[in-house]
Amino acid sequence: MEYKILKKDQIIKLYNDLTKDYNFFAPIKEKRNIVFRKITNPEEIVLDYLNSKVPPKEILFPEKDILFEYKINDNEIELEEPKNLNEQNIIFGIRPCDAHSFVLLVNFFSQGDFKDEIIINRRKNTILIGIGCNTPKSTCFCTSVEGNPFQKDYMDVFLVDLQNEYLVEGISDKGKDLIKKLSWLADAKEMDIEKAQELKKQAEESITTKLDLKDIDKILDPNFDHPIWKEVSETCIGCGTCSFLCPTCTCFDVIDENVPNKNRGRRIRIWDTCQSCLYTLHTSGHNPRNSCIQRVRNRILHKFCYYPENYGMLGCVGCGRCVQLCPVNNDLRTIIEKIKKIEPKREEKVSA
Amino acid sequence: MVIENENKEIEQLIRDLAGKLLEEKQVDVIIGYTEGTVPLSSSPIVIDKAEDVDKLIWNNLCYINLAKYLVPRIPTLMNEEGQKLKVGIVSKGCVGRALIHLSVEHQLDLESIKIIGIPCNGIINRKKIEDEIGEREIFDISVSGDNIIVKGRDFEKVFPFNEYMNELCKVCQVKSPPFLEDICVGECLENPVIEDDFSDIAEFDSKTTEEKWEYIKSLLETCTRCYACREACPMCYCNLCFVDQNQPVWFGKTTGYSDIFVFHLVRAMHMAGRCVGCGACSSACPMGIDLNLINRSLEKIAKERFNFTTGIDPRSLPPMMAYDIEDKEEFMMEED
Repeated sequence: MEYKILKKDQIIKLYNDLTKDYNFFAPIKEKRNIVFRKITNPEEIVLDYLNSKVPPKEILFPEKDILFEYKINDNEIELEEPKNLNEQNIIFGIRPCDAHSFVLLVNFFSQGDFKDEIIINRRKNTILIGIGCNTPKSTCFCTSVEGNPFQKDYMDVFLVDLQNEYLVEGISDKGKDLIKKLSWLADAKEMDIEKAQELKKQAEESITTKLDLKDIDKILDPNFDHPIWKEVSETCIGCGTCSFLCPTCTCFDVIDENVPNKNRGRRIRIWDTCQSCLYTLHTSGHNPRNSCIQRVRNRILHKFCYYPENYGMLGCVGCGRCVQLCPVNNDLRTIIEKIKKIEPKREEKVSA
Repeated sequence: MVIENENKEIEQLIRDLAGKLLEEKQVDVIIGYTEGTVPLSSSPIVIDKAEDVDKLIWNNLCYINLAKYLVPRIPTLMNEEGQKLKVGIVSKGCVGRALIHLSVEHQLDLESIKIIGIPCNGIINRKKIEDEIGEREIFDISVSGDNIIVKGRDFEKVFPFNEYMNELCKVCQVKSPPFLEDICVGECLENPVIEDDFSDIAEFDSKTTEEKWEYIKSLLETCTRCYACREACPMCYCNLCFVDQNQPVWFGKTTGYSDIFVFHLVRAMHMAGRCVGCGACSSACPMGIDLNLINRSLEKIAKERFNFTTGIDPRSLPPMMAYDIEDKEEFMMEED
């Protein structure tokens, strides 16, 4: 594989070259948070960030996504589809965990009877130029969830920060073609590649959170009514921080906004969260998940039991955002440790 | 006394009182704070055994208002037979104020709780510290003397505590809960008298309506509507919040400008004469939105127009629950 070198001051050139054909999304500091935005000034890009506050899933699956607009003329209904679905996007500087989450998002939105063309198309039209994590956070645990701080499998192009420059590697065919177009990129030297390997090793070793998630779905499945759920939800206040800032959470709500007396309006998809008191509330007023206990359980089961059962992989990418940001510090890592300590039920012991 | 030593004393006070209440079976459980698993955090904890009192801590990161755990939206603590438990609650001033106000609003029976009063010495402004540190990971935060020491991979920074505490804590005059006979133990304030000149928001107040609007717009635009502010607020206990109403839908649910403002401004309206200035909403916000100026403005309105301070006296009726023919009303008609 051919490796290239991108000098740090060449990012502007890279942006200028690519922005002609692509919407260029990159991490920037907005207010006090690192977020991904379609940028117009490449000097705003922050690549040495730890982890973005809002995951870049918001590019594929925005907080507020207009599904269509409608007009009613006499008895005719006129629908207007969103226009920008075929625009080409680049997400520059995405981290491996967030790129991993795109696989999970696409799984969710493309399997089964109903396919979400909007999100699937956006993903198809999006190139990921990712970057390895030289300094993972202490709350990161990607290596426990089938990931790695230098995992490049889900990227199109992968960068490694070598301090003064970036090592550039084309991963997918799309990515390789893109690099060919950037003919001004210098060739990398053998020592650059070695340095990148060294950084990868250091990054992996620096991940201190190790969770044993093997067969966790098999522990969770028979313990739906275990007292542990009361224990781990005791301090939960029921906000949506963990799920809104989770790169793999996919719940949404669909609302219609009508312009009064104008016979027109729009249908919007917004984020929803299983932690909300409205989630699964029936029209009758009954709610099968009417307490924090059931909602916290749902979130854990969804990621570590249902998702593995449905898609054959864990529903968590180990970014640690929920760990870091939970207002009451209800630490997912602690919850997992408690789950791992659940004693197998006696009858199962006999059968085993 | 330096903050570091105050913390040790407060922590000891909590453990002594909690241990005594549990041993004497005056309470079934204690709600307090315990060490967080990540820096800049603490975690609420419920203990029911005297030998667990050492899990209870006090540091300047105990930002959650524990009164939240006693209001109806979260089911009341019960034993296995479904009987209500008698609860001891570690109370800094704003927790005590919240409990008193909740009882005024008939949401809480003060007789069923024990307020463990502590002399709070302020909460660290996590967001201000994070802003200063930038994109570097904080590994450890501690208080040494009167300073906050923040350590990371290749750095150590010192912040003076009195500058880096929450703005609300800087002007707080109710550091311990107001004293209530038979309900409070520990350190409490007898008949606190609040004199507040609101000089901390004088600059904001002197702005024009347009400038204030610009400030609020810029403040709120990053809101994701996760509702951490609402869920952390002890006064947000409605069974169904106005924004969650869906029959009919009263308010827009998106993160578009107008929908965000409507949520925050209507919530602010509901907080007038009710906010106890604990700052839990701002501490809880994952996006770093600091609602301090809005909340202080509400407090100022309640104080200036109705001479009311929330959560001081369980017998006084708050302005929004009482009607007086002399009530000022000009602000509804003429003012900005």
